[in-house]
Amino acid sequence: MTGQTNLISAGASIAGRNKRYVIWFYLLNLALASLGTGAFSAQAHSIFDHSLYADKLLHGFDAAVYVEMLARPEFGPIQASNAPAMMFAVLFFLLTMLFLPGVLLSYSSDHRVPRDEFYRTCGRNVWRFVRLFLFFAIIAGPVAGILFGVQSALAKAADKNSYEKLPFFVQCACMAIIFLVMTAIRAWFDLAETDVVVSDQGAVRKSVAFGFRNMRRNLGRLLGSYVVIAIVAVAILAVGISLWEMIVPASSVLGAFIISQAILLLLLATRFWQRAAAVAFYVKQQAEIPVIEMPPFAPLSMPELPVAQPGSGT
Amino acid sequence: MIRAQRLVFCLMGILISGAALGQSGTGSPPVIPNTVSAINSAAPMSQRVVAYNIDAKYDAKTHSLDANETLVYHNLTGQPLDTFPFHLYLNGFQPNATWVRETKRDGTRDVSFEKWESNEFGADEIKSFEVVGQGDFTSRLQFVQPDDGNKDDRSVVQVHLDKPIPPDGFVEFNIKFHDQFPETLERTGWKHDFLLAGQWFPKVGVWWHGAWNCHQFHGATEFFADFGVYDVKVTVPQNEVVGGSGIEVSSVNNPDGTKTVTYHGDDIHDFAWTASPHYKIYNDTFQGSMGPVALRIMMQPAHWDQAERHARILKNTLDRFERWYGPYPYKTLTLVDPDVDSAAEGMEYPTFITGGTRWWVTGGLYFPEGVIEHEFGHQYWYGMVATNEFEDAWMDEGINSYTEVKVLGSILGPKTSVLNQWGVTAGDGEIQRLGYIAVADVDPIARNGWEYANYNSYGGVTYGKTAVVLLTLEGVIGEDTMQKAMHTYFMRYRFTHPTKEDFLKTIEEASGKDLRWYFNQAVYGTQVLDFAVMKAESVPADWYKEGSKEKKGETEYNTEVQIQRKGDFVFPVDVEVKFDNGEKVREHWNAQDRWVRYAYQKKAKVESVEIDPDHRIHIDRNNFNNSHTVEANTAPARKLVHYWTFICQFFAQALAWWLV
Repeated sequence: MTGQTNLISAGASIAGRNKRYVIWFYLLNLALASLGTGAFSAQAHSIFDHSLYADKLLHGFDAAVYVEMLARPEFGPIQASNAPAMMFAVLFFLLTMLFLPGVLLSYSSDHRVPRDEFYRTCGRNVWRFVRLFLFFAIIAGPVAGILFGVQSALAKAADKNSYEKLPFFVQCACMAIIFLVMTAIRAWFDLAETDVVVSDQGAVRKSVAFGFRNMRRNLGRLLGSYVVIAIVAVAILAVGISLWEMIVPASSVLGAFIISQAILLLLLATRFWQRAAAVAFYVKQQAEIPVIEMPPFAPLSMPELPVAQPGSGT
Repeated sequence: MIRAQRLVFCLMGILISGAALGQSGTGSPPVIPNTVSAINSAAPMSQRVVAYNIDAKYDAKTHSLDANETLVYHNLTGQPLDTFPFHLYLNGFQPNATWVRETKRDGTRDVSFEKWESNEFGADEIKSFEVVGQGDFTSRLQFVQPDDGNKDDRSVVQVHLDKPIPPDGFVEFNIKFHDQFPETLERTGWKHDFLLAGQWFPKVGVWWHGAWNCHQFHGATEFFADFGVYDVKVTVPQNEVVGGSGIEVSSVNNPDGTKTVTYHGDDIHDFAWTASPHYKIYNDTFQGSMGPVALRIMMQPAHWDQAERHARILKNTLDRFERWYGPYPYKTLTLVDPDVDSAAEGMEYPTFITGGTRWWVTGGLYFPEGVIEHEFGHQYWYGMVATNEFEDAWMDEGINSYTEVKVLGSILGPKTSVLNQWGVTAGDGEIQRLGYIAVADVDPIARNGWEYANYNSYGGVTYGKTAVVLLTLEGVIGEDTMQKAMHTYFMRYRFTHPTKEDFLKTIEEASGKDLRWYFNQAVYGTQVLDFAVMKAESVPADWYKEGSKEKKGETEYNTEVQIQRKGDFVFPVDVEVKFDNGEKVREHWNAQDRWVRYAYQKKAKVESVEIDPDHRIHIDRNNFNNSHTVEANTAPARKLVHYWTFICQFFAQALAWWLV
């Protein structure tokens, strides 16, 4: 229990020392989402800006008016606004993968990593992280597929029962198990990513094996830390949305923007907190590797060589 | 004194009813009993054409039943009848039946046929058919397909008698039949250990406008029958909790582990019942203007905490209907909360309706209220004003959707009667309008139910368009006049089969206006109404002078406003022009032309233009272009964009959370 608490607090400490990364990634997240919503924004402004009818969405949120907007031919197909948002979400994931090595290096260092070293680390690990992602996909994909398949089958079976809440409880139980398994896999690969960066490991399979070994040996500690931080994330989301509804007036566009972005910033911070916890675990593990005492080197007996006398040379 | 009179009438009714029950097969002439035990009236309220006496035994394991039915038919057609058609609607649940064909082709509310499952098979098989005094006609029954000629459809059967039944004569049919209920695809059948038995017995058609009206079982529409008396015995396993149309007369346990529950209904035109071992019963009473109404609410155990909520909306709805449209004369109303997977939610039968809820429904999600109100409304627009739903579905579903908007708006607020949760709202009138605008020009309201382009059009036009057409009509003739018209229509045509012209003429009569210009477009036509602001612009009157500066309140402007009628629907409309000095000008345009221009010269600039500023028109297809503000107000769009950005950011974070 003490170790688990330490991991959570150590992770918080590391993430707190390096909070600039959370800010950067948040700004990246916001910028990309703003680009992704460009089409939606243009469509909404064209329909709303000069219509009194749009007031029904400002002073409250009339769901029927929103649906009517989506149904207007001039709004265009919904895919036209969904597709850019999807693409920029994928881009955020790719950029996270690109810059994460630098973040992990900073997390494992006790000094501020210079900018050039940060980018050098990012560049050096691009291909390694791509390979790590492929490993992750090969492992997590089938596991998730099987788990969701089992969930679906159990829910279908529960559906045959006349007790209406049973399918819901079955789904909830399955989702909890899926969450735990996928979180364990995530922690495993977070350790592998840390090992790749910190030990400059070119053979990523060795880091994957390292991550798996350590995850298996310390499952409770790592998983517990990740779950606690995830619960904090859920709490942030729930409390944030409740506050949004309770204290922000419906017509306050700025108020809604501020609170929604605060929620997203804190959510992002919790993921970095998890990664920092993995780095803290890794650093501690490395520090605990026993130092093998080596016998003192015996002085080599070197044959005495004739020393050339000055002026005796050729 | 009044009570004593009622008691005497009731006793007389029971005696007559008993005589009617006892005379079957004894050789005495058949009669239609004048019972009143199921209504709060001293005398029958309808012209009773039929008397059904059914004794059914239900096998819960095989979801089937065997029954004996006696039907007495009173020939009030004024001419001899030698042919009688009967509904056998459970036969609609067969792969080549018209219901399945239409449903597979057009879709319906709960079904999409990817493959045929054997447990979806339903059947209503006549084992024997005797016409008392004329012999056995079982072998002479003939399936007919009056609507589509589909020879595989066995949902209507016809018998041709040897001896015609004279005007004002009676005929008695003894029918033995076997039902196989389907696992519910829609409307009727079983799910888990729940059963809703609707359209389950051979039912005679309606002689209407000089011919038999007995349609096949369709993907959309299923109701039209004559009023009469129903005495139904249902034998089920003793663990089943049973509910049915009419009043429960008795419940007797049998030695074989079954029980027989007996129901009696007066002045109704159909009978449905339900059984499940799991129902929990919530009883309440509504004090109606004709007498007390016993409310029996049959809840699923998982929804028990919503029983009071069900009772509350039911009583509030009854209250509005009684005050606005007319009295509810029946002594009972049974509200069934069906199995959630049964596809039998939201159904209506006389004095018997099904609701629909979920265990997780919160206080601000009003769909249980919406379903209950709507299905109760059918007690008036179908149950008592018994229109031909097959041919005039809008007079049933549509008028009911209109009253649904009014009643729910009165109870839950017009802007929040569907949803009022987490700051998100929706009103029933707007939801009906959404259904309409999706299919605004596809079908007219006045069309046979099975002849719509597809199920979406049927739903959007029959429910949505009718509701917004009547809401708009309310704007034309006034809310009070519309309510008076609806009251007159109900009181005049209850317990009859009115036509669409009966309804439209009643409105014209109540309003004292010729409304054909409106009905021809809205009810009989497919014209679409869409007004738009074409132009709203102010230019300084001295625009040609160099160096002149604009000063608020001093500079004179030439203002031009243009309004366009984009759709073909012609509808006179008001226009409000607002200037930046606060002045408002109202114009009235007859909309005969395609556009109109208004010009003003004022020391003020136009600020905004609004068509239909009182929001009386609900059939405009596009409300966004009904107004124009000269200065852009970007706040609504920015608010939406923030929401959408939040969702996109959240999604991107979630993706990155799990993948890297």
